[in-house]
Amino acid sequence: MMQSSISDWLTIILRRDLIIAFRRSSTYITPLIFFLIVVTFFPLALGPQESLLSSLAPGVIWIAALLASLLAVETIFSEDFRDGTLDDFFISLEPSFILVFAKVLIHWLITGLPILIASMIAALVLYLPFESFIPMIFSLLLGTSFMSLLGALGAALSLGRSAILSAIIVLPFSIPTLLMGTSVISSSLINQDFSGYLMIMGAMLAIGIPGLCLLTVEALLLNYE
Amino acid sequence: MGSPPLFYKWSSKILPWLSIVSILILGVGLYWGMFYAPTDYKQGDVYRILFIHVPSAILGQSIFMFMAICGFINMIWRAKISGMMLKSAAPIGASFTLLALVTGSIWGKPTWGTWWVWDARLTSTLILFFIYAALIGLHSTIEDKTKADRAVSILSIVGIAIIPVIKKSVDWWQTLHQPSTFTITSSPSMSPDMYQPLLICVIGFYLFFALLLTLNLRNEVLEREKNKNWVRQLFGGLS
Repeated sequence: MMQSSISDWLTIILRRDLIIAFRRSSTYITPLIFFLIVVTFFPLALGPQESLLSSLAPGVIWIAALLASLLAVETIFSEDFRDGTLDDFFISLEPSFILVFAKVLIHWLITGLPILIASMIAALVLYLPFESFIPMIFSLLLGTSFMSLLGALGAALSLGRSAILSAIIVLPFSIPTLLMGTSVISSSLINQDFSGYLMIMGAMLAIGIPGLCLLTVEALLLNYE
Repeated sequence: MGSPPLFYKWSSKILPWLSIVSILILGVGLYWGMFYAPTDYKQGDVYRILFIHVPSAILGQSIFMFMAICGFINMIWRAKISGMMLKSAAPIGASFTLLALVTGSIWGKPTWGTWWVWDARLTSTLILFFIYAALIGLHSTIEDKTKADRAVSILSIVGIAIIPVIKKSVDWWQTLHQPSTFTITSSPSMSPDMYQPLLICVIGFYLFFALLLTLNLRNEVLEREKNKNWVRQLFGGLS
């Protein structure tokens, strides 16, 4: 009985937020376009040499992905906070952990997933070899999920304040993700074993889901004291 | 010393002693290091910046640890003073980290031939500085001080969990810096003539931090409690 009610609660929030997100196409289009624009800027700024671009590609794709996933961070809670939906969620006595988890999942679905798909286009135009596509996608899959978790915490802490604040809060903490993510792709470029990096990213995600979600709940509750 | 008035009274008593002892030890350590410690046979007198560089780098990391402990206490027991401690320690920690970066850069120019290298230890210290900046920035944007304390507590706990990961990941990424010469657990790899003044400098820096923290915290306590009776009584009824 209890089990089904929690999963019901999760589905309700997911369905509601997905409907809201898809009614306004800008929510999932903007990070995608932003990602592609940032990727395009690197060849324009550094010159179109194939060898240069393919060696820079892991870093370029990862920096663009980090910035794009930060772009939509502010929207995770701000709208629900402004119109009072968040208050209702907390009053409803349903587990707030599930609420935060659902919000993170939605954020990943509308930013992480489009970026994952767009990264393949980015990899093509940056001349990344085909062999590196699979490691790139796995690293982005784990990395953008962790970024969504961190982003939710940043959004909760800077709720109702400047958007740049959440970026400053989140960016220093995203450095391990950036380093591991780029290392995965770079090691695959020189045919080295990259599974170790992926495992650490996975471990960070595994600790991050309970840890960061709980801290995000705490941070959200700060606004209701 | 849990409550602010009690802390204020207690710190008034301890402050003169703390200032004398900390400045004395810091002075002895620095004087010894600067004038009596032997000249390094490879680096010459340049190495003497070590007596500032190493303690400030150690302090930069220790203060973050201290802040995370304060944050933890603040989250669980909601002790007011721990939040104020967290807030007062942040700028000191950021300053020591910056001092470590600047002295390292000045030391790097004559010995490595460059002001900055993208080496693991330098980079992780720089990231630590950014994290300090994020904590200070977050605190300053939230008007309600108690809420700001708790928000920063949350972030400092994330920080202490992620800093080891940052350090390890940056280690894999690049390493050029000489390995740490200063550990308590193993015998020192440097000459005792240099190790002893360094040890005194480190102790001096810790005491100096305690002094700065006390001064900072006293101001913070007065600022937050300025409308309370005990502060009014203390300053003769002036608001």
